[in-house]
Amino acid sequence: MHAIEVSHLTKKFGALTALNDVNFSVDVGETFGFLGPNGAGKTTTIRILTGISYPTSGTATIFGHDIGSDTIAARLSMGIVSETSNVYDDLTAWQNMIFSAELYHVGRVEREKKAAELLTTFDLYERRNDKVHGFSKGMKRRLTIAMGLVNSPRLLFLDEPTSGLDVQSNLIIRDVITGLIHEGVTVFLTTHNIEEANLMCDRVAIVNRGHIAAIDAPERLKKTIQSAQSIVVSFDRVSARQLEEVRSLPMVNDAIKEGDKFRLYTEDPATVIESVMEYARTRNLRVISISTLGPSLEDVFIKLTGLQRTGGAIHAID
Amino acid sequence: MPSTEEGKAGAWFARVSHEISAAWAISRKDMITYYIKPNIIVMGILFPFFMFLAFAIGKNAPPGTLIPGLIAITLLFSASSIEPVSIPIERRVKTFDRLLSAPISLHSLVFGESLSGFLYSLGIACFPLIVGIILFATPIEHVPVLVIAMALTAFCFATLGTLFAAYPTENVGEVMSMLNTVRLPLIFISGVFIPLSAMPQIGQDIALLSPLTYGNDMIAYAYTGTSLFSPLLDILVLVIFILIFQFAANRLYKRFNE
Ligand SMILES: Nc1ncnc2c1ncn2[C@@H]1O[C@H](COP(=O)(O)OP(=O)(O)OP(=O)(O)O)[C@@H](O)[C@H]1O
Ligand SMILES: [Mg+2]
Repeated sequence: MHAIEVSHLTKKFGALTALNDVNFSVDVGETFGFLGPNGAGKTTTIRILTGISYPTSGTATIFGHDIGSDTIAARLSMGIVSETSNVYDDLTAWQNMIFSAELYHVGRVEREKKAAELLTTFDLYERRNDKVHGFSKGMKRRLTIAMGLVNSPRLLFLDEPTSGLDVQSNLIIRDVITGLIHEGVTVFLTTHNIEEANLMCDRVAIVNRGHIAAIDAPERLKKTIQSAQSIVVSFDRVSARQLEEVRSLPMVNDAIKEGDKFRLYTEDPATVIESVMEYARTRNLRVISISTLGPSLEDVFIKLTGLQRTGGAIHAID
Repeated sequence: MPSTEEGKAGAWFARVSHEISAAWAISRKDMITYYIKPNIIVMGILFPFFMFLAFAIGKNAPPGTLIPGLIAITLLFSASSIEPVSIPIERRVKTFDRLLSAPISLHSLVFGESLSGFLYSLGIACFPLIVGIILFATPIEHVPVLVIAMALTAFCFATLGTLFAAYPTENVGEVMSMLNTVRLPLIFISGVFIPLSAMPQIGQDIALLSPLTYGNDMIAYAYTGTSLFSPLLDILVLVIFILIFQFAANRLYKRFNE
């Protein structure tokens, strides 16, 4: 049995098709990433899988329970962390936790224990009797995640858990999620943070405009686009025209500036290294560092979603 | 096989008790969060009071006789004011998604929401009740009937509020203005200010469609011992209204939830 099984899921909002015949399944214990640009349909997918929204057609099951017809059983095993930190501002952190536990039928003794434990983990225990009203963005995010864990879910939905947070909140959240993964909790994670997906997920689905463009392990996805190898080089001096100049070197497909370095995309790293050295000699530049990189998940993402790099920024092409 | 029957009964009982405790948690959350919101205090307490004052002054009747009607409209306005405020706000801050995605039935959600309006209005309606007893020594003929009448009227209008709040908006004003186009006329056609017998036939016919008619009638019976309908009929009709509102709300929440 799969933790999640999605079959021919389509969702239309009037004329807009938010999801178009989406199929995938997530194994028990797997960490599954849903990676896609804004408007790809990530949140729509979670809303359907949690039974808040209904599909136009297609089905979804959670541990074998159909989300449409066996909704309550399906939901009992879930924890849901939505995109916005939807906490009750007028309740205290503690009251928020207890309320969430009550909705999920967690018994009295168990819920107090669990609430105390989770608030401690998320570094909120000291503030438990304060109204959430005055909490910072990161604290609200942490509380939202803690509320999603209060029923010890076997399946956790995380809709962009760490977007827009500082390093400390980020670290706490990633640590907790990693811990849950080790305990065997199935995690469904949406993100547009490619590095996060790369680090945490067993498999990643790349979604774009309601389509799944690819599903595979991050490493295997990278292998599919060997053409996107790159050279990263830095020179001792930086000038305005360098980017244009290195981009026009032979065998270079594209070039972007990454901080004080240039990244040159190529199918033939050896030749490009030679021409970079040659270029440096003619311009009287010294090469400070140079290295070859395999394709990144970002490259896969860009290729599959039809986005295009121009001068270091990423733009959508229509 | 008694053991499986028992098992089934046990599972059913556990399920129902879960649903009830979740509904209770929802209404407790509403109590802490919304009872003191300005919108609710204005629409739920001040409005019915001033409305009534205006009519009472014009009517020139002994103030004690006005208490039953004041209780009826206080119940109407306070019970139906909580959900139309709380639910659009919860939609806006997305906490409503929590309720919609919880492992509870939609009926429990509707019931839990209504419960907070119900308790709120019973609390508020104690003011006119106590004022009647202390200041005007208004006699109450049938206390148990009054308790049942107030409870049913309160629950009926709380569910009406939940029903209107199903309209999928994040704007409190939108729900309130829809609700007011219904509940303001109710106070004129339900025998609160103008006795039904003094109304033209068409008015009397319309009054039969208003739940407030029956709530007001039953409260009047509890106070004076005389009424238009038998209290049993009032109870029956109020229960039917509650069920209609509950099921309609259930349907609408499902439907508007794309
Ligand atoms: N309730 C709705 N009514 C109409 N259109 C909607 C609704 N919800 C989502 N959409 C549309 O469906 C598409 C997918 O939206 P969705 O929120 O799932 O994207 P997402 O991948 O989560 O994006 P983001 O990264 O910005 O969170 C978008 O075009 C969005 O405008
Ligand atoms: Mg989203």
